[in-house]
Amino acid sequence: MTRADADPEGAMRVSTALVIETPENVRLTYRLAGPATRLLAYLIDLILRIGIVVAVYFFASFAGVVAGQGVSIGMCLVVQFLIDWAYFGVSEAFFRGKTVGKHVFALRVLQEKGYPATMWGALLRNFVRGADNLSFFGVGFVTMFLSGKFRRLGDLVAETVVVEERRVRVPREPIILEKIRPLSRNELGSFVPSGQTLALIEEFLGRRNVLTYRRGHAMAYLLARSLAKRLQYSGDPQQVERYPMAFLAAVYATFHQAHEKTDDDHDVADAGAEPHSRSRRMAEAAT
Amino acid sequence: MNKRKFVAKRSVSWRRFEKLLDRLDTISLRKFSPADTAEFSRLFRELCYDLSLIQSRDWGRGLVSYLNDLVSRGHNAFYSSPPGNLAHVVQFLLVGFPRLFRKNIGYFLTAAILFFGPLGITWGVVQHDTTLASRVIPPEQLKMYEKMYSDPDTSSSKEDDEDEEDDGSGTKDWRKDPNFMDQRSLMAGFYINHNTTIALLCFARGILLAVGTIYTLIENGIAIGATAGYLIGTGHSDRFLSFVVSHGSFELTAIAVAGGAGLMLGNAIVHPGQRSRLEALRVRGLEAIQIACGAAAMLFIAALIEGFWSPAVSIPNSVKYAGGAILWILVFVYLTTAGRWEEQS
Repeated sequence: MTRADADPEGAMRVSTALVIETPENVRLTYRLAGPATRLLAYLIDLILRIGIVVAVYFFASFAGVVAGQGVSIGMCLVVQFLIDWAYFGVSEAFFRGKTVGKHVFALRVLQEKGYPATMWGALLRNFVRGADNLSFFGVGFVTMFLSGKFRRLGDLVAETVVVEERRVRVPREPIILEKIRPLSRNELGSFVPSGQTLALIEEFLGRRNVLTYRRGHAMAYLLARSLAKRLQYSGDPQQVERYPMAFLAAVYATFHQAHEKTDDDHDVADAGAEPHSRSRRMAEAAT
Repeated sequence: MNKRKFVAKRSVSWRRFEKLLDRLDTISLRKFSPADTAEFSRLFRELCYDLSLIQSRDWGRGLVSYLNDLVSRGHNAFYSSPPGNLAHVVQFLLVGFPRLFRKNIGYFLTAAILFFGPLGITWGVVQHDTTLASRVIPPEQLKMYEKMYSDPDTSSSKEDDEDEEDDGSGTKDWRKDPNFMDQRSLMAGFYINHNTTIALLCFARGILLAVGTIYTLIENGIAIGATAGYLIGTGHSDRFLSFVVSHGSFELTAIAVAGGAGLMLGNAIVHPGQRSRLEALRVRGLEAIQIACGAAAMLFIAALIEGFWSPAVSIPNSVKYAGGAILWILVFVYLTTAGRWEEQS
């Protein structure tokens, strides 16, 4: 976060993050959806659209016996036209920037400034699809890569982007932290790691199953070694080398308590404490 | 404030907000009870505060991205534009569209020249020398047109007689079919699909420097002009004109309107004015899409007329000419005056 703050432009250039500022003065970060996901979403929509048209033709061939063949085929042609031109636009306009395909891949159309897509915007970006799909969407793909933020022609005109929407849970503390024994104070110097370092340890341990065992330990060792040096750790250096993750967890367990204690003194001064406790009470009353 | 305590303290509100958001996914904000709406608004602001607090401390990405996603979902629901309804559609067609059309009438006139110019020239030339028509339109198609418009009552030319003998029964059946209504519904559906697709593509491809738009306009102008010239030149003028006069009002005008919208997009890149090219494209794009939608609506009307009114044999030609004249005046009056009374007030 801090690095992105220092150089938002530079961070934007290399990442797929879209940072917008809300009227509440909060910076929201969205992840832009790349061409591959969008193509898959399009294919799902395509299958669905073809399915609807085929189903309508099928149904109409039965209805045709009663209502007359011409009427039913005429209706089919109208339905086909609407599916061709209005499916995407209407769906994105009235279902908060989503089509079925986009919903499957958790995509959403937003205005570039972060607001939900408007009706005209949604219609415009999908009418211009008629130009994007020239040579099998070649025009669209080329503009996506040239324009930045993966915007095809329709997005450029309508000022929209497609973002990925993740669903995440409240992050839990890794279980290892509750089981590990703190280090003995005798083995440590006077250095106290910052809360930032502890948060980093916590997050690293929380996501350690993302990495393979060897890679995870190799990376943890880098941090554990320099931390042991700073702490002037006088315990078994073999321990640090062979079980760096356990060492990191032990460091966390050692200093976490200490931080909690000093924080308690500052709690009164914390601006967030008062309104939060009140709102919490209200929330509890509401549930 | 410690991270663990903070999470423990606030996660109740976060969960509550999550629940409200999940409910919003299934029902609209309008159906929310006032208490829920107030709570949603309050929790949203609290969450914004939480997020900016967390962003200022390094408490890990997990928490930041969790709150970020929660706030962004809330933001999306909170600031969504109010849903439209049928009244808006009517308002748009009666006021919004004709106004925007007049505001950008220059583009329409240019498109009209690009469309009606080639149309008129080809018409004149081909009517003078009907053999030229086959240079533009395949001969088989010309034969088919001729068959469609040949008059069974007054077979004026020799060609017609031959056609009647060859396949006369077929043509007669087509027109005097008891299921004629059925046929017309089919054709109306076809016209909606076919014509509107052409017009909308004509608009959409305007973004590529309007090359596609100009090509489509000229090509269609030449094709229609050649057909008209050929049929009139070969002596089917009465049937042909009585057929096209009614729906032509909406159809031909709408093609030029859609073409004008396409030219707006293309011209925004060529002549952006005081804005950057992208900005010009966006500002004009927002107006162009509305004009294109208006054109699509006109083509719907045209298709209905073309499907049900124009080919009706029971209506005498004089009535059709009168109806056609009224429709042309109607289109003209609609585009030039609709929505003016509100402009002045």
